[in-house]
Amino acid sequence: MTKHPIRLRVNGEAVDGEVEARTLLVHFLREQLGLTGTHVGCVVGECGACSVLVDGALVKSCLMLAVQADGCAVTTIEGLSTSATSGTPGPPGTLHPVQEAFINRFALQCGFCTPGFVMAAHALLTRNPDPTDEQIRQELSSNLCMCTGYVQIVEAVKEAAARLRGKDAAR
Amino acid sequence: MTRYIGTSVRSKEAPRHVTGRGRYVDDLTLPRLLHACILRSPYAHARIVRVDLTRAAEHAGVKAVITPADVQQLSRPFKPGRYAAGLRVPIPEYASAVDKVRYVGEPVAMVAADTRGRAEDAVELIDVEYDALPAVVTTAEAAAPSAPPLYEALGSNVAWQGHVAYGDVDAAFARADRIVRENLKIHRYSSTPLEPFACLAQATADGMTIWCNSQSPDVIYEALAEALGLERVRVIVPDVGGGFGQKIHLIRKYAVLTALMAVRTGRPVKWIEDRSEHMMAGGHSCEQEFDVEAAVKSDGEVLALKIRDTDDVGGSVSTLTIHFTNKLNNLFNTYKVQHLRLEGRSVLTNKCPVVPNRGIGKPGMCFVWERTMDRVAQELGLDPIEVRRRNLVAKDQFPYTTPNGNIHGSGDYQALLDKVLANVGYDEVRRRQQEQRRGGASRGPHRARLRDGVQDPPSGRLLGIGVVIGVEPGGRNAARDMAIFPQSKQVLGAGGVEGATVKIEKNGAVVFTLGSPSCGQSHETTAAQIVADVLGVSPGRVSLAGTFDTALSPWGVSSANSGNNFHLYDVGAVHGAATRLREKVLTLAAHLLEADRESLQIDDGIVYGGRASRAGGDGVASRPADSSTAESMSFAELGTIAYSNQALLPPGLEPGLEATYYHSHPHADPLMLPDAQGRVRAQYTFSSAAHAAVVDVDVDTGRVRVVRYAIVSDNGTLINPSVVDGQIYGSAAHGISVALGEGFVYGADGQLLTLTLLDYGKSTTLETPRIEVEHYPIPDPFTTLGQKAAGEGAAIPSPAAIASAVEDALAPFGVKVRHLPLSPERVWELINGVGGHFSRTLTGTNGSVL
Repeated sequence: MTKHPIRLRVNGEAVDGEVEARTLLVHFLREQLGLTGTHVGCVVGECGACSVLVDGALVKSCLMLAVQADGCAVTTIEGLSTSATSGTPGPPGTLHPVQEAFINRFALQCGFCTPGFVMAAHALLTRNPDPTDEQIRQELSSNLCMCTGYVQIVEAVKEAAARLRGKDAAR
Repeated sequence: MTRYIGTSVRSKEAPRHVTGRGRYVDDLTLPRLLHACILRSPYAHARIVRVDLTRAAEHAGVKAVITPADVQQLSRPFKPGRYAAGLRVPIPEYASAVDKVRYVGEPVAMVAADTRGRAEDAVELIDVEYDALPAVVTTAEAAAPSAPPLYEALGSNVAWQGHVAYGDVDAAFARADRIVRENLKIHRYSSTPLEPFACLAQATADGMTIWCNSQSPDVIYEALAEALGLERVRVIVPDVGGGFGQKIHLIRKYAVLTALMAVRTGRPVKWIEDRSEHMMAGGHSCEQEFDVEAAVKSDGEVLALKIRDTDDVGGSVSTLTIHFTNKLNNLFNTYKVQHLRLEGRSVLTNKCPVVPNRGIGKPGMCFVWERTMDRVAQELGLDPIEVRRRNLVAKDQFPYTTPNGNIHGSGDYQALLDKVLANVGYDEVRRRQQEQRRGGASRGPHRARLRDGVQDPPSGRLLGIGVVIGVEPGGRNAARDMAIFPQSKQVLGAGGVEGATVKIEKNGAVVFTLGSPSCGQSHETTAAQIVADVLGVSPGRVSLAGTFDTALSPWGVSSANSGNNFHLYDVGAVHGAATRLREKVLTLAAHLLEADRESLQIDDGIVYGGRASRAGGDGVASRPADSSTAESMSFAELGTIAYSNQALLPPGLEPGLEATYYHSHPHADPLMLPDAQGRVRAQYTFSSAAHAAVVDVDVDTGRVRVVRYAIVSDNGTLINPSVVDGQIYGSAAHGISVALGEGFVYGADGQLLTLTLLDYGKSTTLETPRIEVEHYPIPDPFTTLGQKAAGEGAAIPSPAAIASAVEDALAPFGVKVRHLPLSPERVWELINGVGGHFSRTLTGTNGSVL
């Protein structure tokens, strides 16, 4: 099968790749770049475990071909703490407020859906810094979690929102 | 000292998961790795006539194909295991189909290629000729004498029939004022872990290493040894993306196929199941039908129960009786009833085999009890909560032994009901409900169905409340099955055995190894809290040494993420190992500090002699450089000596600071093995909880919205309350989703119609209510810390709670809720008194249109 060259930015770094036309973005990220934090739970866009940001928009990377990401800027879970600071890679442990809140609120169990939920929550809070419980539940219905019953995830998103607003207020 | 036990100590697992640094099987790779893909049966029932590999073998990148003939030639079949207790003819089962296929999705062949894409391409090029046979999809069809048998050797699809009986059921029925009868059904569902099955196998010089997301690594260990005749098998379980029972049993087939492919190709092979494969062949919970008769007194006392249980076990004999035998675990629920007969029938059908799944038969058993209690109340004109209260085991009866031998260590069931009623505002809900039913205007086609004097609510919505109670058994005792099958001489898994190792490293860091894998239940966090308290060190300095590995982990028969085992065996083992290590630390420190051993104290990783003043918790020992005059020593100092300086060790003390302890439940007896009456400890601990569900039913669409869901739960001593909360939220959410319509739907030809999570109807954040939990812990008198189980718990009573609430909401229509799921379609049919409400195959799922 013919290979297609692609060039994109992933977590702030320039990346060149060669992919089959049928290669999904999620498989490119996982297999060629080793960014295994983006997970495959259904590969048909229902579970959200593969959620990433493409040019700032929340995307299920199993529903996008790698060739479609040519020229785009992609942020994966591995790049979240970086993008939240000055855009430069931070030391491990420099967590995004959403990540901090997910830890603090026990908002995960097996962890398989977690990167997708963290990305979705981050995208939500970028659009709406102070969502209600109902808005959080509406927006996060894009993702599935089989372990938590969502209670602590919703709490974490509210806590993250408060942390982020506090940060903005402090500026 | 319990400084950390009982507090929500920060999660040790979460930091890696929120940063994408979890490590699951699919994240691993090896040099020269091949990718495997499986060809599955498109038929529900067919004979395999011919397999032609010509086209597939020629496809670019393909390295090998394994056919049914290869499987038969190169591997041995699994022996019927304990899940198949009661199987009357030993039927060998291979890792793939060999002669016939018995369900859509049954594995037929495996391809390995250099990329996953090429393996998938090649699977489509395998030509299989099938001779299609008639499929039997419902138990009624399958049990008919004329039905085509799935296994000719059995002669019939009714593969097992039997019963258990306790007390004098006939005498109790003779004494009854009334017999209450009901037919109940609970449908097929699963827990659909987000990470599907995954195996990575590498043949070694003398055996096999497999990375596998198994919940019960012993199953994989035994399967590879048995099927491939391997003497050296190493099973490594990295992070697991959810289990819930799904990853206990059928996964062994895929471990064997992947390992066989690794042998055949001489290269490491990875196989990752995809979502639709998991939906069709990863295993389902069992569709169960119950004919219930309750012998009752006019005052609501239940004297006895007779139950006829028909289990649809699908297309395999390998889990023939698990959904029956697991009902022994909560056979009497929370009730003091003394007489009960449970008849069982396991019927084979051309559907996915059933597997252990979050409670196994226990949600069904709880459904029987709680629906029956509501029905008894209705028929006697009593309050449903009062009927439950009349039959509950009383607070002063604990420890309470059920008629079938389970010992409920502690509990206060009345208090759970009191609290949940208060929390949900029961009286207020009833008041609002009455108001709603009084006002109203007539509208809609269902108007004629309303009972006399009841007004159609103006909003088109009906409020309902259901209150139920249940137990959550914990700690597996596999000898249970001998109660039903006394002919089985093997006592595999009697009681429980599980190990743990705790070590203080040379630098003072504390690491531990558990005997069982975690699937997301925070084993590391919880165990670290126990180690921290026992050793006298902060949890921040305690960590898990590594993931489960049969070559390194101290494992035993209970080493499984199954049976709600963690609280009993892992906690007992890690507590025992830490206690043993503490003794050694004190022996060494007493010698070095020249202090009386009894006078020593440990705080924050520093051992203080009797004369010492505390260092203030900064981890630095207050001692002069000359150890002979020291008054305290840190773990790092002790570690350095223990591993490096024999001259300073007390005579006879083994060097090193490490201890391993294998825990067996000290209170496993009495009734670890069944007595003459068939009484046996099915499980060892019994958490309990009352659930109150408030629902709002849309009369026009049949959609059920859960507006409140309150739980009061007794899980014994809480080690990490937030972790326990999470287990309760998650299991409740699953049971609620099941009741509202999540489920598998088959066509009459045996084709699975719900191949995706959307079709299957899994609840999202929108359908799942904000579950409210209050803890009411009553420590168990028989466990290490008073702890009880917390895992599958709330999935057991929640389907019954929703059923009760929906029936209550629909009371103006006088309809009975007998069957799950309560999808909008089903509820609409109930409201309108029409439709195939009892159809057994084409049942609507949540939001799907058939």
